[in-house]
Amino acid sequence: MASSSEREVDNISLPLPTREHATLRSVWGLGNQLFVYAANRDPPRQSDGRPSARPQTTDILDVRWNADMYGPVTRKLVNESHSVFVMLQGQVTSHTGSALYSQLKKASRKYRSVLKACTLELQAVESCEENAEKRSYYDDQIQLLEIVQLIWSLCEILFIDISPGEMVLTQLLNWIQSHFSYGRQLAEEVIKEEQADTHPAYWQAVYRLLLQGDVDRVRKLLSLHTCNQTQPFASVDELLKKMPQWRTTHAMSLAEFDLKWRHWREECMRRYEEGQFTAFSQLEVVVQILCGDMLVFSEHRDLCETWYHLLISRLLFQHPTVRPTDLSLYAQECMEEFRRAGQRMGDLDNILLAAFEFDLHQVVKDSSTYLSGHSWWFVAHLTDILHHCGQIDSQKLAFGSNLREYLLLQYASGLMSHHSLWQVGVDYLDFCPVLGREHLKLFIESLPLDSERKANKLLHICQERDLSEQAQSICKVMGMRCTDDGRLGSALSWFLRSKDVPAATRLTERFLQEYKEHGRFSHVDLLDHLGPTMLLTKQLTFLGKYREFHRLYQEKDLQAAASLLLALLAERVAPRDFWVTLLMDALPLLETPQVVLGTQQTYELMHCLEELTLELQKHSTNAATNIGARPKSPGVRVSATASTQLISESDLEKLKFLRLALARNLSRAILHEGTIAPA
Amino acid sequence: MFAAKSISADHKDLIHDVSYDFHGRRMATCSSDQTVKVWEQGDDGQWHCTASWKTHSGSVWRVTWAHPEFGQVLATCSFDRTAAVWEKEAGQNHWLKRTSLVDSRTSVTDVKFAPKHLGLQLATLQLSLLEPKQSAPSNVSSGGKVQIHEYSEVQRKWNKVETVVMVAEPVHDVCFAPNMGRSYHLLAIASKELSIISLKPLRKDPAAGGTGISKFEMRQVAVFDEHESQVWRASWNVTGTILASSGADGFVRMWKANYLDNWKCISVLKGDGSTGEGPASIPQNSVTSGAPSSIPPNGAATNGSGSSVVSHEPPARSMNIKRNTGWPWMDIKKDQFKLFY
Repeated sequence: MASSSEREVDNISLPLPTREHATLRSVWGLGNQLFVYAANRDPPRQSDGRPSARPQTTDILDVRWNADMYGPVTRKLVNESHSVFVMLQGQVTSHTGSALYSQLKKASRKYRSVLKACTLELQAVESCEENAEKRSYYDDQIQLLEIVQLIWSLCEILFIDISPGEMVLTQLLNWIQSHFSYGRQLAEEVIKEEQADTHPAYWQAVYRLLLQGDVDRVRKLLSLHTCNQTQPFASVDELLKKMPQWRTTHAMSLAEFDLKWRHWREECMRRYEEGQFTAFSQLEVVVQILCGDMLVFSEHRDLCETWYHLLISRLLFQHPTVRPTDLSLYAQECMEEFRRAGQRMGDLDNILLAAFEFDLHQVVKDSSTYLSGHSWWFVAHLTDILHHCGQIDSQKLAFGSNLREYLLLQYASGLMSHHSLWQVGVDYLDFCPVLGREHLKLFIESLPLDSERKANKLLHICQERDLSEQAQSICKVMGMRCTDDGRLGSALSWFLRSKDVPAATRLTERFLQEYKEHGRFSHVDLLDHLGPTMLLTKQLTFLGKYREFHRLYQEKDLQAAASLLLALLAERVAPRDFWVTLLMDALPLLETPQVVLGTQQTYELMHCLEELTLELQKHSTNAATNIGARPKSPGVRVSATASTQLISESDLEKLKFLRLALARNLSRAILHEGTIAPA
Repeated sequence: MFAAKSISADHKDLIHDVSYDFHGRRMATCSSDQTVKVWEQGDDGQWHCTASWKTHSGSVWRVTWAHPEFGQVLATCSFDRTAAVWEKEAGQNHWLKRTSLVDSRTSVTDVKFAPKHLGLQLATLQLSLLEPKQSAPSNVSSGGKVQIHEYSEVQRKWNKVETVVMVAEPVHDVCFAPNMGRSYHLLAIASKELSIISLKPLRKDPAAGGTGISKFEMRQVAVFDEHESQVWRASWNVTGTILASSGADGFVRMWKANYLDNWKCISVLKGDGSTGEGPASIPQNSVTSGAPSSIPPNGAATNGSGSSVVSHEPPARSMNIKRNTGWPWMDIKKDQFKLFY
């Protein structure tokens, strides 16, 4: 099948130069997107290092495919079929047996009505469109949807809506009638004519309608003929009136119907052979059709337009009670008939023939290759229904799952490439039990985070599906982006959500640094509402608590503020380089009119101060020896090499004040406690 | 089916590489004109150049993005024997050079970031001035040109686990497919032909314990010679379902498996070219023995034994994985920096 494999390859010509020593190169974009550019051959060689003298075009092409679903109208198709799909998946799990079966039938009809609505809307849009190029685009879309409907309805008749004991032909007749409307159009035109039978297409309309089994209209048309009072016309009318019609309401078995029909046909034959109609050659054709004359069908083949119309018309007058399994035999005959007449059979014909042959895999396979260039919509949804109907065996395929999942993945992958339809895609992936989750992970990692809203949406999706790794990555990326924009507060909250310790630590240190430099906090709101999240890192706990200290101090709750401050120091929550600041913060508490810090607390503060000074001293001597053992005064001096660890002269002065204040406070506290104690 | 939109990159010389950031809204291009350009996609879907600056004093071969978790970071490599790392300045469209790696004595031909779970690590590849050493003659005789290495957490080193014997010609590119739940790994090898190899992990010998080297059942899933001669590059899409290759015939071809796992060409992209001499014939390249190496997108080994790297025989180029220090963001996942050699 060399021809078919060639057919499957799309040859795309791009407006890029082809030169010697050059090649096209590609880079994957998001989903179905490739960037293609012309480049030198690979790998780069040393001699290529110099810029080449020839000026080159440096265009990059942004190539996308399977983009047909992204038009405004077809997007509606995507969204509406999505809700049908999701509902059906729910029903599959909750219903069984005949209840499920009726739901499946309903779903199939819903899909078709969505398709129909979409086609109608496209037709409306097309008729208003001025631009010829766009018109032809819409025209293509309409054609495609028509084809899809044609295949879908046939599959529905043959595989989904099966009713044993019913006449399959009635459904097939409806199928033909709804897809071939030219006969009815002609009839309407003819009827408008004052003298109907003078219309050049009068007989054509009659034949066309008759071939579709539209007996009522045929009788109406014939009654408009000038000679309708003559005997032959009356005879035909009687025959038509008598033609057995299958009604579901009649409690008639197929065998009974068959008997009735045979009687009727014998009567047609008899009247024809009696030569009742020889006066009107056209009327004779009508009766010949009624008799199921092979020759007359061949002659009027063109009125059927296609082999499958011819098939149904022939069956109607030759084997109305045909069993579904026998369809393939007649289908091949009709196809052969058209092929002999020089008509080339296309992809659509092969798909329909495969359906008549009940070869579902072939239908799906051919539809995939023929239609999926535009979109996987059709095969994915049809296969899903057929799968639930049990028509397609769910054998595990080489790629790891079954056919249904394969097709759903293809369809969903297309949706995931789209900037808004990706949310629909997520739902489809959810119903791919084997590989859907892994696909979703990969997609989520590459979906662009355009806005906070989208990021939150994605996070929600991750949470619902327990994809913690992906959720973390999203928060991290968002946090980095906020940092980049200078929105440190939002950045911190993103990092907190992702529990990203290093990043949160980094930011916290930045906040603390900022406080040290400017003496105030930014993002107070965030800090005040940290809650338990502050336990994420030591620094953050300190930052949160330290901010709480400031708040308490501002609210004049000095006791609480003092004990918090002390706790920060005594429990070593505060980083060492912040101790000076903290101790300084204690100063105002020591100078208040009432005694805030008791003796015990004051001792602890003094202890902390001592610890700090000792450390500073040790450090500075170390630093001094490191520099070259230059003799130094025992006092603490800021050394250039160790400046980060040590403190400035002014801070040192402050510490001296603090020592004094502590001593004063201690004396006050002893007095204070002494006076109250006696009780 | 196809819609193509042209972006005028406006480089003054040939583009060597186009790289797309992980979320698909930014693109970086590099060229022989020694500059790198960064592009952003606006809400209107158009691409705008937001930054363009001279990066090197020679042709820039490759440009690549770090994962956005590390902020906006680019790495470039050039003919001028250096590789550089760039970071966008906060709040501005200005890129700062964070580091310049000058270890190479020859042109640096490839640069790649490690998978994000390894932290911010960079691998560079340089042309070797030395004659290719045939360190493992057995390999040469068996003709294997692609080796699979796997990182062992226990031993803290990379072990060679397999040699792909199916490919005997010089290799230009290798690429692991993202694993979307398959029970096997897919490896695309661009050589004289494009081959797709499936690697199915075999159960480890329990007696060997944690140090056991994983074994793979290798199968050649497909070989394509449609490119007629050399295949230069191969790359997978995000889910590892479509492979794009570019070859000496000047075409880009896309390959996809149907549900029966038959790989087929699904489309051919070609220029409608001006010179019209048909596909350019490429003379045999003398330096083809060395080829860009790649780090797979994720650990190729299944049971947590880390990731695998693919390199080539003979070792015409040396590979350095650099640890960057003195960079404010470098302390992410400190402990994971132990993983370098």
